[in-house]
Amino acid sequence: MVKFLSEEWNNISKEYILKKLDPEKDLKNVTTSLLAIIEHVPPNDTTMNFYLVLKDGKLTDFIVNTGDTSEGKEAVFTVSGNYGTYRSILKGEMSMAVALLRGRLKLKGSKMKALQIIKPLDGVIVSLKEITDEFEE
Amino acid sequence: MSSEKVQTIQKTSFEDAVEIAKKGTHCGMCRIDFLGTGLCPSGKKHGFVAYWPQGRMEIFKSLMSGKVKPTKKLVEIANSCTLCGICDKQCNFATQLRPEKVARALKEYANNLDESEFQIVVEDDIIKGLREIVGEKWATNDPVIISSYIRTIIHPDSDLNFYVVMPENTEEVSKIIKFANKNNIPFMPRSGGTLLSCATPTVLSKAFCLEQGIIIDLLRLNKLEVDTKSCTAKVGAGITAFELQKAAYKHKLRANLAEAGAHVCSNIASTGITSTWQNRYGWAADNYIDVEIVDDKGNIRNNSDLDIKNPYTTERGFTDITLTPPGIITESVVKLHPVFDDEDVVLVPFENLKDALNLVMKLAKRNVGLSLVVLSRKYLSEFLCPTPKIAKDFEYICKNYMKLNYVVDVICNKDDKKIVEEMAEYTIDKNMMKTFILGSPRLASLKNSEFLKVLSEEKDPLKAIFAGPMRKHLEKGLDASPEQIAKVFDKDLQDFFKKVYSKPEMTDIIWLHAFRILPSRLMRQRLFFAQAGMIWGEDQDKILKLIDMLSKVCDKYKLEHMLGFISPMDDGKYAFFEYDYYYNHNDPDATKRVSQALIETTENCLVMGDILMVLNYLFKGLYRKEHVLYPIPKGISNDDLALFRELIENILGKEFKW
Repeated sequence: MVKFLSEEWNNISKEYILKKLDPEKDLKNVTTSLLAIIEHVPPNDTTMNFYLVLKDGKLTDFIVNTGDTSEGKEAVFTVSGNYGTYRSILKGEMSMAVALLRGRLKLKGSKMKALQIIKPLDGVIVSLKEITDEFEE
Repeated sequence: MSSEKVQTIQKTSFEDAVEIAKKGTHCGMCRIDFLGTGLCPSGKKHGFVAYWPQGRMEIFKSLMSGKVKPTKKLVEIANSCTLCGICDKQCNFATQLRPEKVARALKEYANNLDESEFQIVVEDDIIKGLREIVGEKWATNDPVIISSYIRTIIHPDSDLNFYVVMPENTEEVSKIIKFANKNNIPFMPRSGGTLLSCATPTVLSKAFCLEQGIIIDLLRLNKLEVDTKSCTAKVGAGITAFELQKAAYKHKLRANLAEAGAHVCSNIASTGITSTWQNRYGWAADNYIDVEIVDDKGNIRNNSDLDIKNPYTTERGFTDITLTPPGIITESVVKLHPVFDDEDVVLVPFENLKDALNLVMKLAKRNVGLSLVVLSRKYLSEFLCPTPKIAKDFEYICKNYMKLNYVVDVICNKDDKKIVEEMAEYTIDKNMMKTFILGSPRLASLKNSEFLKVLSEEKDPLKAIFAGPMRKHLEKGLDASPEQIAKVFDKDLQDFFKKVYSKPEMTDIIWLHAFRILPSRLMRQRLFFAQAGMIWGEDQDKILKLIDMLSKVCDKYKLEHMLGFISPMDDGKYAFFEYDYYYNHNDPDATKRVSQALIETTENCLVMGDILMVLNYLFKGLYRKEHVLYPIPKGISNDDLALFRELIENILGKEFKW
């Protein structure tokens, strides 16, 4: 159990997803990439992001960075929202789909396609939920 | 009096008050001066919902159920009510409730509390920050005040972990949003709360309500300026439909508006203003010249700004569901339309929907009429009749004796009236409608009478009553007068309602259509739309098929139901329909069935295709109708249906089983 966006969180998340999620059953063999931008990160009101790539349902890349880009890597989907929204999602108070539909998360990319991969991505979110227990307040 | 006796009286009185409070529908009619009584002095002064009759009812329920513990503010709220009785008059006209009894009970409860029973409210950094923006008085985290927002923005099962802030202008709204973002707190605007109050008893509640955070109550943004030269009005987010119409009518102008208690700016964003006037006045972006919006970063922009992306278009398709507006509209410049001296009313009665639909679409294509709609007998009865019992009997008579199931209801100039009269064999004029309003109690009392039995045996009862000799007998027999209708109200309110019904506007069908004070009566039984939306106007068979499907689903879930209205749009290219359930919102089983039927009808509409359902047009009102509607999506495939189910499951939660 670790702090959201910390280096430890990044490493454990990677391991956890690879170990716990079945590429076919849980991740539907999806091939996609996601850049999640987190704004207003406490305590210094900074912007951070995490970038992940799934290839045939297998996690091949998972990086945490500062700023709103991930070393120039292009993502199929980019979602952005404030730290509080991500905290709500990882605490299970709000689903990613509802955050999108409520405009709490802004999407760059096709909404239709994004909603199509919501289910496999939900598997990733559930994993992140399970390992994340500490947030900046 | 023994203390035991006092307790018994108090308990009964509190129980009565809770029963009244439970029936409260948050129709918002206690926040507009629609009967000439003036406004609730306490609500007008203090603003927060807690100080209005609807808020007091919600607070009392929460106190009695233990949802909220008293605070010192409760005493101030309770004692701010002067027991002037305005709320009883307003609420009684709309829903037959007596909220003053609740206010009395609240006073009694609050003023008999021991010092030890009050909880302390701590001023945290967030409330301090909000007060720096709007001033001490206009931001609160007092749980009693927060509890008054339950059911209109807060889910009934939520903790009361909220703040309420009442900004005075757009700049303050912007600062609040920036402050909320910096502190990672969710926020949501609240205007009249009427739309959310309809959704709250259903499965949609959690999806639409704010889960925690800052409620931005927009009531104080009350700018209202009519410009007669450009025929426009500048309207702040706190202004209701009724207030705008009143200001416009002073200049012989009319706005296209939602129900009287709805706020204009929020209604533009939420449903694009759906009305019976839309075939002439338009829908969505047709209604306004410009809007001032604060986006979710706190930036202020106008739709007329040159450096913004096209604000009039949106994604389409069945997955394009939006649960919030694209920003907070703090001010809009709305279009106004001329009121003509020769405006008149003509209604054409029908036994079946097919014929009514056929006529309304013909008229729509020829752009006949200013307001044009098919109304069901249910709407007609509820609008015209002062009590639910009278409405029920009135509807029974319409159905079983008069065969009056639908009316094509047209407000038009003299030339258009001639066209309608040429197309119809017989019509109902404004005098007959006045007779129906004032004579509704007497007509209802004729249920099972010999007169009505004779009428029902006529070959065409509608013709006999509206174009034959029976009309005179009926008119005479109904003894339609303010004195007669006033008798159905509580004794202490009869003099007041005699005066109300003596006012010309209360029986003026054009005024009633423009000011829309009567739809609140549909909340006497809780209404929710089984389905509403847009459908191609040309395909009338499909419209009938749709209505049939909705009827069957409602029957399956054992819900009282009926078509509300069908209103054409865009010269009859489209028809907006609303099909409603009526249920007891305090009955968990009924609300469950409503939710199930809502989902099933939604799914059926998606499969049928060529229907833009309520979930897809909500919060699309700022866009051009051409971008929202052209074309209406076709029926979806099985794969897409599976995706839709996943989407709905995500919105509503996994406990919702297909």
